[in-house]
Amino acid sequence: MTAPTAVLQLDHITRHRAGRPAVADLSLTLDAGQVLGLLGVNGAGKSTTLAMIAGALIPDSGAIKLNGKDFLEHPELARRGLGWLPERAPLWPELTVLEHLDAHGRLRGLSGAALAKARQHMVERLELGALSRRLAGVLSQGQRQRLGLACALLHEPSLLVLDEPANALDPVQVAALRGVIREQAAKGTAIILSTHLLAEVTAACDRVAILHEGQLRYDGPITNDDHKMLEQTFFDIAMRGAQAA
Amino acid sequence: MSVLAVTRLELRRLFVRPLAWVLAALTVAQLAGRFMLLVQIFTTHQIQWAAQPAGPGYTDIVGVPMLSSILTSGGALPMLPFGLAELALLVIPLLTMSTLASERSHGTLPLWFAMGQSPFDMVMGKFLALLVWLTIWLLLTLAMPLSLAHGMTLDWGKLAAASLGLLLMLSALCAIGIACSAYASHPAIAAAASLMLGLALVSLNVGALMAGIDNGFINWLAMSTHLDSLVRGLISSADIVWFLLVTAVALILATQRLGAERGRG
Repeated sequence: MTAPTAVLQLDHITRHRAGRPAVADLSLTLDAGQVLGLLGVNGAGKSTTLAMIAGALIPDSGAIKLNGKDFLEHPELARRGLGWLPERAPLWPELTVLEHLDAHGRLRGLSGAALAKARQHMVERLELGALSRRLAGVLSQGQRQRLGLACALLHEPSLLVLDEPANALDPVQVAALRGVIREQAAKGTAIILSTHLLAEVTAACDRVAILHEGQLRYDGPITNDDHKMLEQTFFDIAMRGAQAA
Repeated sequence: MSVLAVTRLELRRLFVRPLAWVLAALTVAQLAGRFMLLVQIFTTHQIQWAAQPAGPGYTDIVGVPMLSSILTSGGALPMLPFGLAELALLVIPLLTMSTLASERSHGTLPLWFAMGQSPFDMVMGKFLALLVWLTIWLLLTLAMPLSLAHGMTLDWGKLAAASLGLLLMLSALCAIGIACSAYASHPAIAAAASLMLGLALVSLNVGALMAGIDNGFINWLAMSTHLDSLVRGLISSADIVWFLLVTAVALILATQRLGAERGRG
């Protein structure tokens, strides 16, 4: 019996920004159904890492594999297998909510009845019905995040990349977001979630990775009861880094 | 498939933005005014020109000048409002300025890459969408002289050659506009750069022509040289290749710029 292929595999990826390594020699794997929380202080390299995983940035060295294939060599894998929600949901202000879902679906290769079904499912799941004909340019920050998440999930990706998704959401919306993450993970989607909120990680993730100065300093499982341990580990790493600097 | 998906999205965005509609309405109204003036000139001098052995006809006085007259040495017409070619120099920079520069300012540029779209797919998809708009614009302009075609003797060949010339010019200016938008950080900068490049290309050889040089390299470089031949009804593969070359170079530059941006971050 062969071991299942990891959904995401980072092999020694490095990326420089402004002459210094923003991410240095980072390696990790993520299996189907796993929710990985990526923690780090501001400037730790979380967003750069996620942008590389999403294909928005090219690493200087190393390889990123999606379902066992290098996705820089196979961009079609990103089209069908990856959903990405950056810190600020990127939307076209002149298009409505439904037009966004249509456009994302078509660019991901969906069409006809499959597209209509996926769009309807997302509208119901993320409660976008009342906003469906509203222009993205007039949505509130929380509504923009919901639409961004709907666009990222529309094509049922095998890997979902979320960069600070709870920003600008109220507590009710945060709880709903956690529900969506758990539901998606139960379906087998691998999820990588960047945040600087420790509570977010213990509530939504089953594994945590801590980045500091672009390097992976901790990678291990986490449960809801591990908040104290996580807090201690996180501060140890951050303080040690600050003292070394 | 991917290029067509981008084209479809861009067409949708183009047609829901007020800018495209405002530009279309204002320019078509202005061209309609030009058409009325040209028809008036033609009806006033019709009998006089008909008596001349090689006198100009409806195509020379109304059809082709609807497309261009100032930029080309098309005829001895009085100064009239702009034709399509002259308007294109102003309209295309406004239309293309936000194609890529606004993606950058809205933060949507990385999203395209994350959706597996290559820089080529993006540039080509956006180019084709704009070309659809520009073709509709050209057809609306042509519809005016063609509306009287049933009662006139039209030189279909000459009008077709002039229309081809205009389509090639629109395509080249559109590609230049997209390239400027790929390099500029702000849409207004892209529009200014595209306008200046367009004006430079059409007026590059003015000095040479004033000095009596009409076959030098500088004339070959100028867009007006190649457009002039086509507007006169002379279809030459060298002119067509010139326009295609300019279009291809501009699109390649835009593609390379986007690729470099993805690499650089």
